[in-house]
Amino acid sequence: MVDAIPRWLRLATAAALVLIVAYLLVPLLVVVGVSFTAADYISFPPQGLSLRWYAKVLSSGDFTDAAMTSLVLAVAITVAASALGAGAAIVLHRRVLPGSAAIGGLFLAPLILPSIILALGLLMLWSRSFGATSLLTVFIGHLVLALPYVIRTTLAVLSTSDPFLAEAARTMGAGPWKTLWRVTLPQCLPGVAAGAFFAFNISFDEAVVSLFLRSPEITTLPIRIYTTLEYSPDPSIAAVSSLMIFLTVLLILLIDRAVGLQKVTE
Amino acid sequence: MSTVELHDIRKSYGTVEVIKSVSLSIEKGEFISLLGPSGCGKTTLLRMIAGLETVSKGEITIGGRDATRLPPEKRNIAMVFQSYALLPHLSVLGNVLFPLEMRRIGTPASRREKAEAVLEMVGLAHLGTRYPRQLSGGQQQRVALARAVVCDPEVLLLDEPLSNLDAAMRERMQEELIELHRKTGLTTVFVTHDQEEALSMSDRVVLLNGGRIEQMATPSELYARPATSFAASFIGATNLVEGRAHAGVVELDGGARLRLPDGALNGGVSLSLRQEDLILSPPDIATGISGKVINRIYLGARMRYVVATSSGEIRVLADCDTGFDIGDRVCITIAPEKIVVLQGAALTG
Repeated sequence: MVDAIPRWLRLATAAALVLIVAYLLVPLLVVVGVSFTAADYISFPPQGLSLRWYAKVLSSGDFTDAAMTSLVLAVAITVAASALGAGAAIVLHRRVLPGSAAIGGLFLAPLILPSIILALGLLMLWSRSFGATSLLTVFIGHLVLALPYVIRTTLAVLSTSDPFLAEAARTMGAGPWKTLWRVTLPQCLPGVAAGAFFAFNISFDEAVVSLFLRSPEITTLPIRIYTTLEYSPDPSIAAVSSLMIFLTVLLILLIDRAVGLQKVTE
Repeated sequence: MSTVELHDIRKSYGTVEVIKSVSLSIEKGEFISLLGPSGCGKTTLLRMIAGLETVSKGEITIGGRDATRLPPEKRNIAMVFQSYALLPHLSVLGNVLFPLEMRRIGTPASRREKAEAVLEMVGLAHLGTRYPRQLSGGQQQRVALARAVVCDPEVLLLDEPLSNLDAAMRERMQEELIELHRKTGLTTVFVTHDQEEALSMSDRVVLLNGGRIEQMATPSELYARPATSFAASFIGATNLVEGRAHAGVVELDGGARLRLPDGALNGGVSLSLRQEDLILSPPDIATGISGKVINRIYLGARMRYVVATSSGEIRVLADCDTGFDIGDRVCITIAPEKIVVLQGAALTG
């Protein structure tokens, strides 16, 4: 038996937990609070209750255009990262390639590399080899950032599931491709779904890589928020941010309904 | 007619040879066990029949067709894995339908009919819509079996399918497996390290050791006439003793004398004395091994005595009411026809 945990340690743990939760949640509460203010300036607690800043955001072409750009980009990233990441994870998991461990480490490098260095490196490489930046360069940058998440979550699911499923399918008459399609991919699905969720979020609120790799006419939502904050700050930023928070919560609920959040976090 | 034929099969990983020339011919409808300690190559051999492991040398024919280089999906086999390997995203019925769909057998309606009939046979007709994770170990086992027999394979391969079940469930599944084999008449290859499982279920047992066939025999033959000391010590609980035979009597290395069943034996012999065949008596019997009880272990139905003798420690399984105590002097006797003379040793002597 493990010794009983001393009382002071339990209290300290509880205190740390409260602080961490507060640190994570209070900023969100402030932002959402500010977004409902009736005042003309950013203030907390909000002065009066109003939806005027939501109205302003939704009627402003600047914000809706940027949101549309971000949304299209994020959806494209989600699809591409899921497909490539799942494929990479399956191959890495089977360890059929020599140096699978090294390749896996390389795929995960963007997780620890500061994104500003990645952005700068990609920009220099691209302008030297291919010329002007465009939406494609932003796409590539986001993809590099999003891939590790899909690979990680898919590998996690694969490593906890029955290693003999694919072999069992072969003995039941399924060829290699049918096994991939009917057994391995469904087996990966919870992991791919979790990774897809991360990929969408990373792309949707990514600012640094987008700033470096975009061309002047491309404005994503985070970039729009950033420039607004710098040049004409008003509570509409809080309203946009709140909308992004709501979208994330909505996605979490959808994923939970579709595949079950428990499976994803296992 | 033999259904599965292994001819001089070998398997090496690098320079390590794990299967060393195994030849085996399995008759149609036969239930055969591959028995042996871990690392003896039994699972490797089964996986080679399945096509999940390549063959380094030799030939495999299944149903009269050369299958040595065929991928698993092209062999008409079915396999039950130790972990069952049920597809978690498919229902019980979906799992049983899977091999029928993959092999494109019949129409969707006839497949469903067949799958339901097989589920009925293993007693799971009411659980078709459940998912594998909602089933108990025994139920998962039955789904795996149903899924394996539904295609009417040329040979059914079972890889230690009972090892994940608790003792009571294992006993029941043993009986169900025998019953299933009788109903379907499928040629079956069963891998196990459990000698009781092998003896109770098979028509024939292939005892493997170090990648080689040690002995191939019916269960009763293997039990009564083990060919080697390995076979004798692996099947049942026994005592191995050495001695010199002359005129129907063997003088053990320690000096004790036993009567032999066969008067023609001469020279050095190696004997197997099964624990349950030995009889304990008070110490005044003439032809026996005398010794002192140094330990006794209560086993419920039986009592195991450990007796120190001039031929080493000898273990005896006796009835609980035999009534000797630790420290008592005893004499161990055995009916001559129960003595197993290990051929290998007698021939070299």
